[in-house]
Amino acid sequence: MMNINKILKDSYHVMAKDLLEFRRNRMQLAALFMMPLIFLLMFGFIFPSGGTQQHMPMGVVNLDQGQGSNEFIAQLNLINQNTSSMDFKTYSSIDEAKTAINQGKIYGAFIIPPGFSDNVTNGKSGDFTVYIDNSNPQSSMQVQQALSSTLNGINNMEAEANVLELANETNQQVNPQAIIFPYVLNVSTTIPGETNYFNFLAPGLMIMIVMMTVMTGIPEAISKEKEMGTFDGMLSAPINQVSVILGKTAALCTKGFVQCVIVLALAMLLFGVTIQGSLLLAFFMLLLGIFSFIGIGILAISMSGDQASGTMIVNLLMFPMIFLGGVFYPLQQMPWFMQAISQFIPLTYAADAMRKIILLNAGIGDVLFQMLILVAFGVVTMAIAVPLFRKSMTR
Amino acid sequence: MTKNAIEINNLTKKFKDFTAVDNLSLTVKEGEIFGFLGPNGAGKSTTIRMLCTLAQPTSGSAKVAGYDLIKDSAKIRQNIGLVAEKMIMYDRLTAAENLRFFGKLYSIPKQRLEERINELLQLVDMQEWRNTQINKFSTGMKQRINVIRALLPEPKILFMDEPTLGLDPQTTFSIRDITREINKEGMTVILTTHAMAEAEALSDRVAIIDHGKIAALDTPQNLKNMISQGDTTVFSTKISNLSSKIINKIKSLNTVTAVAQQDDYNLKISAHGENPLNEIIDAIREEGGNITSVTNSKESTLEDVFLAVTGKQMRDQATEKAAPIHHGHGPAPKARVR
Repeated sequence: MMNINKILKDSYHVMAKDLLEFRRNRMQLAALFMMPLIFLLMFGFIFPSGGTQQHMPMGVVNLDQGQGSNEFIAQLNLINQNTSSMDFKTYSSIDEAKTAINQGKIYGAFIIPPGFSDNVTNGKSGDFTVYIDNSNPQSSMQVQQALSSTLNGINNMEAEANVLELANETNQQVNPQAIIFPYVLNVSTTIPGETNYFNFLAPGLMIMIVMMTVMTGIPEAISKEKEMGTFDGMLSAPINQVSVILGKTAALCTKGFVQCVIVLALAMLLFGVTIQGSLLLAFFMLLLGIFSFIGIGILAISMSGDQASGTMIVNLLMFPMIFLGGVFYPLQQMPWFMQAISQFIPLTYAADAMRKIILLNAGIGDVLFQMLILVAFGVVTMAIAVPLFRKSMTR
Repeated sequence: MTKNAIEINNLTKKFKDFTAVDNLSLTVKEGEIFGFLGPNGAGKSTTIRMLCTLAQPTSGSAKVAGYDLIKDSAKIRQNIGLVAEKMIMYDRLTAAENLRFFGKLYSIPKQRLEERINELLQLVDMQEWRNTQINKFSTGMKQRINVIRALLPEPKILFMDEPTLGLDPQTTFSIRDITREINKEGMTVILTTHAMAEAEALSDRVAIIDHGKIAALDTPQNLKNMISQGDTTVFSTKISNLSSKIINKIKSLNTVTAVAQQDDYNLKISAHGENPLNEIIDAIREEGGNITSVTNSKESTLEDVFLAVTGKQMRDQATEKAAPIHHGHGPAPKARVR
């Protein structure tokens, strides 16, 4: 029986050797730093940021030209000045406005029908139409949002004026806002200040990058040595095979850890992500995450003879994990069957826990469930993978 | 009294249907240089891998350095060094870093390890290269480092699998010298090789193995005597219109023990009896063969022994495989699929 001390020492030697080899490889070293940077920039910018779009070009066609419609347009401009969500351009006819939409010059057009002013002065509602280009659903939604909030503002202004007028006529002291909006909603958020998509993305991305580094690293690290023949040198020396696995994993973890710190630093510096929780707990979670999926990587190389097929199996497993792990999109927005699959992916739990720790200052107790699942996942896959690995080593 | 460094009892290794090592039994004495000769796929490397605990035997047992192969594999590893077919070195590490890494796996104390590294670099005359990365080395330099890496833990038994394959004559000689030197100091050496001259020059005893079995085992001299003093003759013949029909005809003769095709024209024939040559020449001419030359091997070499016992010509594996017929005795070799 070899003692634990010797196993750990040998693991350290293997790790130190792997890292030294890695440090000498300039290309790999550069890739280590570039990967988190590219990932963060890429994923940060290809997904909609969630903020409202500004200066959306809109057309205005006033077929009424009365006092009421001119007042309405003036109010529209006034409200819009605060948000600058739209830019207005006047067209003389509906056809002209439609042509502009088709040419992509404007997102939509306000069409104020003849008789609008008459309706308003005669106590009828001032109906008008907004013609929206919904060939691009994303901007069509944005326009509709801007419209309804602008219109709400105008209605609010009008209503307040009307209520005050009525109150004056009946000689009553009233708070017009309390009459118009009897219920008022105050939103209080878990994270103080403004949040953006990066807050959601960064914690998951950290753990995902580590996962990618470790998972793709295992076939590279182990099968390469097997093919080079250097593995025989280690295995014919008096060391335990567990030391080889441990040492290689530790080296990969170190690389993943460095990348994690880079992701975190970039997210904080470039994208204003703030950390609410304990970094120590976050890094512990990271290690737990690695532990949970390392067994899968070892399983992949034990089953495949060479590096190429090992890498292929790992990639095959990794892609669903990346997209179903809830790193980029909240799981709740996925169809039920995708959600069901995601329950079997360790990344789901790791990313979730990571987000809670970093953004919500969750303690160990809050993420205990995720931790237990990750440990269970790691133990089960390792229990299958390590004996298989040992067997494949002495074939 | 000399002890046995290695005792192999009915060791067998099967890969699915293919038996790589077939009930192999032999002993290697302490302090011996023991040569394994055999064609590719004969089971030499597989045997070595099993003895180094890198492969599990299918059945049978063995003792290496006095320890059981299965039960005490960790103790065996403490006592062996391995120079495998592929070099065991990391390209991006320097010579010293490579040696240091492997030395640490043997728990050699730090100071002793540094001394040992210096000593061994001196042995192969490579001190000035200690801090150069391996990828800058020539094949010969790499192999010198590879050999001293195996010697680091001062093993009792050194396994060398084709240590001079693809090396220039200078490096080959230097590696043979080192092998002799460490053997003088008491190390047992197990050597596999294709080079007959190497096996002859180095080995105290040679085992010729084929199809995973021992075909012959003795000192090189005795092996040579076995054929030259017996009634076996080995000779080469060149036939300008060589065909498989002619080869089959020669093989059908009672006096002929083995026929090996060396290339498109040359055959090596091993035969016994008083004067088998006339009979063979008659047979060739009967089939319309045009004999250009016949050379009698004056002094037999291990190669001739090899041919006599296995019926195979060693260096020409490719030719042998390409020929439509199977030479030699015994059942046709199975297709080697893994």
